Amino acid sequence: MTISLKNIEKSFKTDTVLDGVSLSVDTGETLVLFGPSGAGKTVLLRLIAGVIEPEAGEIWVNGVNMDGVEPEDRGIGMAFQNFALFPHMDAFANIASPLTARRQSKSVMRQTVDQVAKLLKIDHVLHHKPKELSNGQKQRTALARALAAQPSILLLDDPLRNVDAKLRFEMRLELPRLLKDQNATVIYVTQDYKEAMALGHRIAVMSNHGIQQIGTPEDIYLRPANIEIARLFGDPVINLLSVRPERGANGVVVNLSDTPIEMAAGFEATIGTDCVLGLRPEALHFVPEGTPGAIPVEVETETPLNEKTVTLALTARKREIMVSRPAGSPGPSRGRAYLLVDAGQALLFDRESGARIAPSTHNGLQEDVA
Amino acid sequence: MSDAMLRLVNVDKYYGPLDHGVAAVKNINLEVEKGEIIALLGSSGCGKTSTLRMVAGFEAVSRGKVFLSGREVQNLPPVKRNVAMAFEGYSLYPTVTVRDNIAFALKAARLPESEVTKRVAEVSEMLEITSILDRFPSSISGGQQQRASLARALIRDADLHLLDEPMGQLEPQLRTLLRGRIKYYIKERGLTAILVTHDQTEANALADRIAVMEGGVLQQYASPEEIKERPANLFTGTFVGEPPMNVFPASVTAAGGKLHIDLRGDTRGDLRAGLDLIYAESDFAQPVRERMLGKRDVVIGVRPYAVHRAAQGAAAQVVANQWLGDQSHIAASFAGKSIVLVEHDRAVLSEGETIAVEIRPNDLHVFDAETGMAMSHGQELA
Amino acid sequence: MLTTSPIERILRGLAITLVCLFFMFPIVWIFLMSFQTNETILRIPPSVVFAPTLDNYQALITGKLETAAGMLEINFMRNLGNSLFLSATSVAIGLLLGVPAAYAFARLKFKGSEDIAFTLLSFRFAPPLLVLLPLTIYFQQLGLANTYGGLIWVYQLIVLPLILWIVRGYFEDIPADIEYAYRIAGHDFWSTFRRIALPLAGPGIAAAGLLSFIFAWNNFVFALVLASADKQPVTVGALAFVTASGIQYGQVAAGIVLSIAPTFALALYAQRYLVEGLSLGAVKG
Repeated sequence: MTISLKNIEKSFKTDTVLDGVSLSVDTGETLVLFGPSGAGKTVLLRLIAGVIEPEAGEIWVNGVNMDGVEPEDRGIGMAFQNFALFPHMDAFANIASPLTARRQSKSVMRQTVDQVAKLLKIDHVLHHKPKELSNGQKQRTALARALAAQPSILLLDDPLRNVDAKLRFEMRLELPRLLKDQNATVIYVTQDYKEAMALGHRIAVMSNHGIQQIGTPEDIYLRPANIEIARLFGDPVINLLSVRPERGANGVVVNLSDTPIEMAAGFEATIGTDCVLGLRPEALHFVPEGTPGAIPVEVETETPLNEKTVTLALTARKREIMVSRPAGSPGPSRGRAYLLVDAGQALLFDRESGARIAPSTHNGLQEDVA
Repeated sequence: MSDAMLRLVNVDKYYGPLDHGVAAVKNINLEVEKGEIIALLGSSGCGKTSTLRMVAGFEAVSRGKVFLSGREVQNLPPVKRNVAMAFEGYSLYPTVTVRDNIAFALKAARLPESEVTKRVAEVSEMLEITSILDRFPSSISGGQQQRASLARALIRDADLHLLDEPMGQLEPQLRTLLRGRIKYYIKERGLTAILVTHDQTEANALADRIAVMEGGVLQQYASPEEIKERPANLFTGTFVGEPPMNVFPASVTAAGGKLHIDLRGDTRGDLRAGLDLIYAESDFAQPVRERMLGKRDVVIGVRPYAVHRAAQGAAAQVVANQWLGDQSHIAASFAGKSIVLVEHDRAVLSEGETIAVEIRPNDLHVFDAETGMAMSHGQELA
Repeated sequence: MLTTSPIERILRGLAITLVCLFFMFPIVWIFLMSFQTNETILRIPPSVVFAPTLDNYQALITGKLETAAGMLEINFMRNLGNSLFLSATSVAIGLLLGVPAAYAFARLKFKGSEDIAFTLLSFRFAPPLLVLLPLTIYFQQLGLANTYGGLIWVYQLIVLPLILWIVRGYFEDIPADIEYAYRIAGHDFWSTFRRIALPLAGPGIAAAGLLSFIFAWNNFVFALVLASADKQPVTVGALAFVTASGIQYGQVAAGIVLSIAPTFALALYAQRYLVEGLSLGAVKG
């Protein structure tokens, strides 16, 4: 384990920011800290970097307790959301700053900077001051600076936040290889669920001063711990409908607009309890009238979303439901239509606590939740 | 002439002296029909906000004419134009509650109290701000302020609703839902709306037609489908669409009944060499083929969803395979650059794996490398 | 909308000229006076037409003042030197002490830091006359009265709060992340202060230095009470022109021209910094 946090507590004045956070990241792993703003993600990074101190708890990096270790001695590379470039130094000096601290020779320094600049495609702007760089170049310079000394720990604080959509997309595809080549242990902070899923080997979802769930992108998307997390991942947001499961002919059913939907096996325990049914927009499909099990809906409008088409529809009880399908595939754009639910993808949550109810397997064990 | 709700005729905007100052908008012609939603789309400094402000009357028109429901309005002050506007910076009146902010224009127009109450309830329910109606703007979040500002504009009866970056601050979980509701609201009431945005996703989601702007010049004014399928030039082709269109500089030659599209790869030359895409001459319609062969240097574009994995095709090596829950984005090194594929199912591919990609002739966009203008889209001339 | 009519332009020009005249008049008038004799200055009605003379300047530089009652020895050039020495040294010491203190107040939020910073500023609120009497007594007992050291010490009352508050604002304006980034890159606290904080607050430090130089230069009361003739700055030295036989307006004017010349030149040179520094200090303070 390269980074290990134990029961970290931090507050500013009277506001608790982190309340007993524990976390460990393996060598070479990229862990994404994901959560809404104010969840304490950035604070956690700064604690690891050593620029602020925790009230309680321990931070271990590469087997060393960081208590009392100054930031300059922690051997960490960090990129900031606002880039935090040194405005009075050119891009070269910015990138070289971790090397000057290590008193390396001029030639080694030049070689290292050139190499990392070439990797990030900024070798032609090295003599520019930050204010002469475009946003994308600034972001790459900041990243190059974090990488220059080849730190074993890399902290990336929402580095793509302030660049335009196209660049963000490009970097999102480029970053994994870059990070892999560095062989660094990475903690990556973001508010964008797509970035989190694309870049994280594991994702730690933060809110309410702590980590709500930690797992692979697959765990988080397919088996979210609660409603809150289910709502944070996915665009359009997951459809949530209040239901009360009943016993049907072939197992557990829930009623949507008086149409019974057969749930997957393992939900017997939920019969008669108040639940929330979670349906991802892509788990709903438009079908012709008369298809067995189809729910009648009234389509209000259609909004294209990247390579998908999103349809906003109303159920018979005037509940809003969003459906997405690949762009270009046929579907209704107005009026009456029929929806089929892919019950295998349906999620069930406890209405009171919001926690997801995992289906029990046939031998009575709960499914494995990482 | 026509019964368009809004018509811009040869409109110029200069900051500083005419023809010598800084040109923000150059000779724009635009028509918006009644009941239409249009988007002015472009990056910052493209002239979209200047255009909107000229329509609203906050900015003088340097040259040209603006017609609003048949009236020539470029010399009228904003209040006389019958235009409602939602501002980018929210700009709610800080001293009154959200409710009074929203109802302001209706009260000023002396609508009956019951009507005002009904409309406020309606619009605030749609935008999910019912619970904060009695709070003051300073005590609500940025996203809520933006929704209140939108409500204030949408509630009004006006010839034209202008929405300046209306959704930039919205909570991500609400964005797609609210887009759907707002579009429905506007369409149900037959309102005419212009939204200004830098976000092509938003423009695509809401607009019937998109006006793509760059450098003060209108690049293309067409429906989202048209722009997607028939981009007028390289700029609109790469600006609209996420993930962006894959583009490769190339040259086209014909030999022995075959058409060779030679992708030249990264011009920086430090990556892998280029690649030769070979098609049968008959894959392309005669006029398209002739036009392609008539130019020495072209740029080939293909949308990410139109790049397919196939049993046979050009070799590409997977660089990244990113699953986003409902789509997979795959980047692969190809022809010395990288090519992006979008698949709607979860792709099982690991880094370094070699795949064969197929680009069908019908999905090829060809641009003139010199001017950037579109030459052909699939089998059709541009 | 954006174009202006010719009438508007003419009116605007007229207004600007009036304002300029109003503010520049005293300086221009004094400048003209410095080239006149007492007689031409005092004639009624006053006139801008006169035969210029360099007598006033000559008297100041040679130190021999001709009055109706006879020749008077004055020490103007020495005063000028004193002013220069006192102000420059005070500002140098003020910067040496004030800049690190300002950094501490900006970055290290410790218990009571706001109170201490405010207390330091409050020195500027107290009328100097209030502290003058006890100060004089203490200084006499400590042997600091009539020494350069004592004066420079007292000048810190003027210089330090100013430097502290202006420079603090500048330090606070530097995003903490920039300093964090340099620390994380492997540099210790002091080199971060030297290589990042100091250069980035440079304009602010320059503005604070200039401004406190001008304030120190213009000080009158402290120097009047605490210094005797040979340590006096020009502000006090100018009193010598008020003689038993009348006020030597010509020499006074020449003295003023000579004594404001250095600060005037400095202010003109660094106008941009000054305005920036002042407005920032005002907003931040």
